[in-house]
Amino acid sequence: MIAFLRFEILRTLRNARFLIMLLAFPVLLYVIYAKQHGTSQGLTVASLLLVSMAVYSGMGSAMFASGPQLARERQNGWMRQLRISPISTRGWFAAKLAQSILLIIPGLLALVALALTYGHVHLAAGRLGLLVLVLVLGAIPFCALGLVIGLMFDGQTAQVAQMITLLVLAFLGGIFIQWSSLPHAMQLIGKALPSYHLAQLGWNAAAGHALGMTDIAALAAWTAALAGIAVWRWRQESTAA
Amino acid sequence: MKTENLDSRPAVVFRDVVKAYHGGVTALDHASFEIARGETVALLGPNGAGKSTAIDTMLGLRTPTSGEVRVLGMVPADAVRAGKIGGMVQTGGLPEGAKVSELIGLFRQLYRGRRSQAELLELAGVTEIAARRVEQLSGGQTQRVRFALALAGRPELLFLDEPTTALDVEARRHFWQLVQTIAERGTTVLFATHYLDEADANASRIIVISRGRVLADGTPAHIKAHTATRTIRSTMPAPDPSLLLGLPGVTDVSVHGDAVTMRSADADATLPALYALGLPVRGLEVGGGGLEEALVALTTGDGRHSSDDGDHSSVMTKAG
Repeated sequence: MIAFLRFEILRTLRNARFLIMLLAFPVLLYVIYAKQHGTSQGLTVASLLLVSMAVYSGMGSAMFASGPQLARERQNGWMRQLRISPISTRGWFAAKLAQSILLIIPGLLALVALALTYGHVHLAAGRLGLLVLVLVLGAIPFCALGLVIGLMFDGQTAQVAQMITLLVLAFLGGIFIQWSSLPHAMQLIGKALPSYHLAQLGWNAAAGHALGMTDIAALAAWTAALAGIAVWRWRQESTAA
Repeated sequence: MKTENLDSRPAVVFRDVVKAYHGGVTALDHASFEIARGETVALLGPNGAGKSTAIDTMLGLRTPTSGEVRVLGMVPADAVRAGKIGGMVQTGGLPEGAKVSELIGLFRQLYRGRRSQAELLELAGVTEIAARRVEQLSGGQTQRVRFALALAGRPELLFLDEPTTALDVEARRHFWQLVQTIAERGTTVLFATHYLDEADANASRIIVISRGRVLADGTPAHIKAHTATRTIRSTMPAPDPSLLLGLPGVTDVSVHGDAVTMRSADADATLPALYALGLPVRGLEVGGGGLEEALVALTTGDGRHSSDDGDHSSVMTKAG
């Protein structure tokens, strides 16, 4: 599994264009908006925005690290070739999740570095550590979401499906727009999404507030549901077709 | 030099296998065959005959609707997990961004290093392109890399599903040389193709399948004897089937009014003899020789052909 993970990461990193695209957008937004004055939820704009952009970047990286590639490689037949090797289903899933998790780290580090220097964000080491931990672990449901999309869509449509999903998650989850300013119906939908809960956890971690158990439970439930769908799709494709 | 195999179980048991897809397509229709260890067998048939479905079933990629499939005495999925079989599936692309050496290195590790990197590169003839990225490979190179992956586990049984489709003549020749080396070392090889010449040149046995059924199973010489059959069509006034059936090479004659269709195993002998009869033969056409024709010959030229549709038409077939 380690060999497979190393192989997957190496070849994904080679696709530098993809990494730069993923990084550029949140970094750019941060640079544009971080200098605004004001506070909200006990956080400065620079800190608040660090969490928003890190959540956005984490969701995007986690999904794009595996999804579209998986969709293309299901289509071109590579996945069939891999299925007739001794790699186990469990090993494959574990490696794919690890791949997605590891690929969110560059974006996260870039945003933290930017916040600490350019944004003059001052966070105690403990808070910063907790924030990073929350953002990394909180990306797990989005890794599973990327796999689900990669297993449900074909090579052409997976990219679009991911982009739409990502934007819905970001807007309704309160990352680009304040959640409380959304229309009521959208608030209800937004509050059910994993992005909303991850952002809440992130802001709480940064502000030094206690982490909400509801938020953690919601992310765990999303992870379980999405992983279940991914495994089901995988099995379905390996036997029925 | 053949590897000693104490295990006497057949390499493949394929018994009465049916695969029906959703939507009513029956890809395999009670197909049966067995393959012994050490054989090199071609699965020959036109596109859509069920070859890929059969191979996918033996690789555990598809589950048959009914029937029994065993490879090396095991359920296919178990043989895959144990790393005992290797395969090149029909649409089997390579992962983007990877280098050839990394890809082969990965497969070596998945099979716990049963073959060295250098040996695999050598066996598949990809030593010179090891540093390339898979996107830069030609069709022939891609297939050889996939061949290396299929060999990584030192498989006892190797499945190749139309491995040379889309390759040029030179790449094709090179590829089959590599397969031959592996087969000579004792690996059982089953490959699918829709080229009769490819099956003839590279297999010691050919299993012909069409519409999911096994039509013929024998040596290339046996199969080719059927495919040498030509169809001779012509018109002549009041043709006499029994006279025509007496011509050299003719195996079967059907008459519809003035129109005569003969099947001949040796058209070169039949034609002079036909003209020698002095009949006013017109509109003579000789056709056949392709795989499709061969399949028609295999399905209808077995001596049981007896369609008789009306007063003015008759069919006669030589016994045996």
